[in-house]
Amino acid sequence: MVGLTRRQLLGYGVAGLSAALLAGCASPALTRPGAATLKPAARAGERVTLTYWTWLKDMQQVANMWNRDNPDIRVNVVPIPQGNSGGYQKMYAALAAGGGPDLAHVELRTIPEFLLAGGLTNLSDYGADTLSSRYDPTLWGQVSYLDGVYGIPQDSGPMALYYHRPLFDRVGADAPTTWDQWADIAVELRKAKAWIDCFSLSDAGPFAAFATQAGARWFTRGAGGWEINLLDEATLEVARFFDSALDRDLLITGYGAFSPPWSAAAAKDQIASLTSASWADSILADVHGGAGKWRVAPMQRWANRGFGSSALGGSTVAVLAHSEHPHEALRFATWLTSSREGIDAEIASGIGWSPTPDYIGAARTQPVPFFDGQNYNEEIMRPAAADQNPDWEWWPLTFQSYNILADEFRKKAGGQSLVDGLRNAENQIIMAMKNKGLTITKAAR
Amino acid sequence: MSTHTHTVTPAPAARAASRRRGNPQRSTQAAPWLLIGPFLALFILTFALPILMAIVSSFQRVERRGLFGEEGVSTVFAGFNNYAQALGDANFITSIGRMILFGIVQVPVMIALCTLLALLLESASARWPGVFRAAFFLPYGIPGVIATILWSFLYTPGLSPLIDAAKIVGIEVDPLGSGMVLWSIANIVTWTYTGYNMLIVIAQLKSIPGDIYEAAKLDGAGPVRIARSIQLPLIRPALMLTTVFSIIGTLQLFAEPQVLATSSTAIDSGYTPNLAAYTNAFAYNNYNVAAAQAVLIALIAFALSFTFLRLSNRGSK
Repeated sequence: MVGLTRRQLLGYGVAGLSAALLAGCASPALTRPGAATLKPAARAGERVTLTYWTWLKDMQQVANMWNRDNPDIRVNVVPIPQGNSGGYQKMYAALAAGGGPDLAHVELRTIPEFLLAGGLTNLSDYGADTLSSRYDPTLWGQVSYLDGVYGIPQDSGPMALYYHRPLFDRVGADAPTTWDQWADIAVELRKAKAWIDCFSLSDAGPFAAFATQAGARWFTRGAGGWEINLLDEATLEVARFFDSALDRDLLITGYGAFSPPWSAAAAKDQIASLTSASWADSILADVHGGAGKWRVAPMQRWANRGFGSSALGGSTVAVLAHSEHPHEALRFATWLTSSREGIDAEIASGIGWSPTPDYIGAARTQPVPFFDGQNYNEEIMRPAAADQNPDWEWWPLTFQSYNILADEFRKKAGGQSLVDGLRNAENQIIMAMKNKGLTITKAAR
Repeated sequence: MSTHTHTVTPAPAARAASRRRGNPQRSTQAAPWLLIGPFLALFILTFALPILMAIVSSFQRVERRGLFGEEGVSTVFAGFNNYAQALGDANFITSIGRMILFGIVQVPVMIALCTLLALLLESASARWPGVFRAAFFLPYGIPGVIATILWSFLYTPGLSPLIDAAKIVGIEVDPLGSGMVLWSIANIVTWTYTGYNMLIVIAQLKSIPGDIYEAAKLDGAGPVRIARSIQLPLIRPALMLTTVFSIIGTLQLFAEPQVLATSSTAIDSGYTPNLAAYTNAFAYNNYNVAAAQAVLIALIAFALSFTFLRLSNRGSK
């Protein structure tokens, strides 16, 4: 015993441990809708504690309002880093280890990525279908996959045009109603040593939003797998438009909106407008010396196609796969995102646009001093939220695809057109999807 | 009964005696294990096992059926498929090339600088060497992330006094632009690690016996001659050590570009090999390819360090 044990035990120990760890690391698989074994609701009088990971600030205070009225379902909030800056990484690691919180902050565009990792509970199994009437139909479409519902919409980012009134006055311009007018104003602004906006070569998000507004649909779920089309009519029109604008040096490409250099330039009155989401208002309000100068107008439209607005961002409250209490988690998520009390509290925590068309939040019905008393939430954002492209679909590799697109867009600085960049990106995304073991084909065009 | 007690009494004594005899022997056997036990456990758990797992994982692949894998997911043996994928990724190859370029420029500059500082501080005419040594070493005490945030403000147009000053003399610089950002990172790395490497060199300088200096002075050698003929040859091991560490450090560059990416559009998600592996593993959920990339990075770091040691050993012969 003595002679062999130490070294051998050590060897067995290492082998055993590594086998256990390897087995533990296998990523969980998604189960077909209806095939999952349902987890029972808590018995009457049983106390349940739910954990909720989110990067919205001060959410424990919001949860405390729920906890006060629902002593049997206690919600503990754990703050995490924002999405792809570390939050999702943390969730994926927890899921791979067989754990994770009951509820988590998952963006709309990230839901399919979590489906691919088998990380979400199908809420249809727990009665979520009856809730659809409470929520914006476009948002509900973006949480519905494979006859299931995989998250409860929490907020969205309908887009509008924020513009700097004195700078627009200097070039004699009103808020543009079309993108062509917008480009004409950009030319005049350049003569006045100002820029109309940024076009970040490192973030494909705004471009995708503009294409969505024009009516693009990059991915379609087919019977035989995914169908991709990054070069449909709508996207091509948008790409050609920005190719032309960038070739004429009308836009800042060195940095994107909300970055430190952008804030510095905006504080010096060099940025004349921002086409962005409803949640950009609070970031603009932090621009030094901007009070009273900015106004909000409806997003400029594409001349002959598309929709009045688009969306940037948007999140859900999702129930992760290993939650033991999906019934209770769904009840909390519904209260949080569709009750007046929940929405008002969440606005204080910094959510974007309310996911329920019936209630935009008390704070958002008032005129806002920073925008010179304009009541833009009622007048502009509410109609924008209703005028969205309902056909846009997210796909399982959104983040990677956006990075691929950004890598191609960066080549614009070296002379490659955005149109060619889209063509290259499409091929790389197909490759990435295939490497993930998925089936994908190019759409006929 | 009495016989029984008689036979029993000596037994504990004998056992105690044998324990006394056996104890030192057994404890000398157990002592090393006890002492290295905590280290060994941590070493295996946090070092050996993860490496083993990374290697195993780099030969595996996930297969999915359905739109999201809802028809089934399985992990299968992939052969060298992940390595082929990593090496077939032009961005990954570019990032390795970028780091080699970075290393060729930054490592010699930093080693030369730290040697110069060390020699100056250890020269007989140095004033307040303690103060300057601490000052040069100070940047190393600032965590890389914080240092990068500090520097990023000095790199940001509109915020940076340096860029404004350059504009006054008629130079337009964009430290965050695609042409310059690599050297902006090199500047941060040099700023952080020169003092640390300097300290290693100084430690070696201090170990040079005083009588060698005395003999040199008697022979009429000036400070430059002493540096060239005595100090530089004798601190060779320290220079080798710092160079190898720097080569490995270069390939592992991560925090600086990761943090600077928030201010610079020129830094993509795979700007350095480590950043590429991180993105693959934790953002794309592609642990298998990330593991292959990690193994490749380790192999390249090993090959480069080994080549450097071979070349410098040959030079000394």
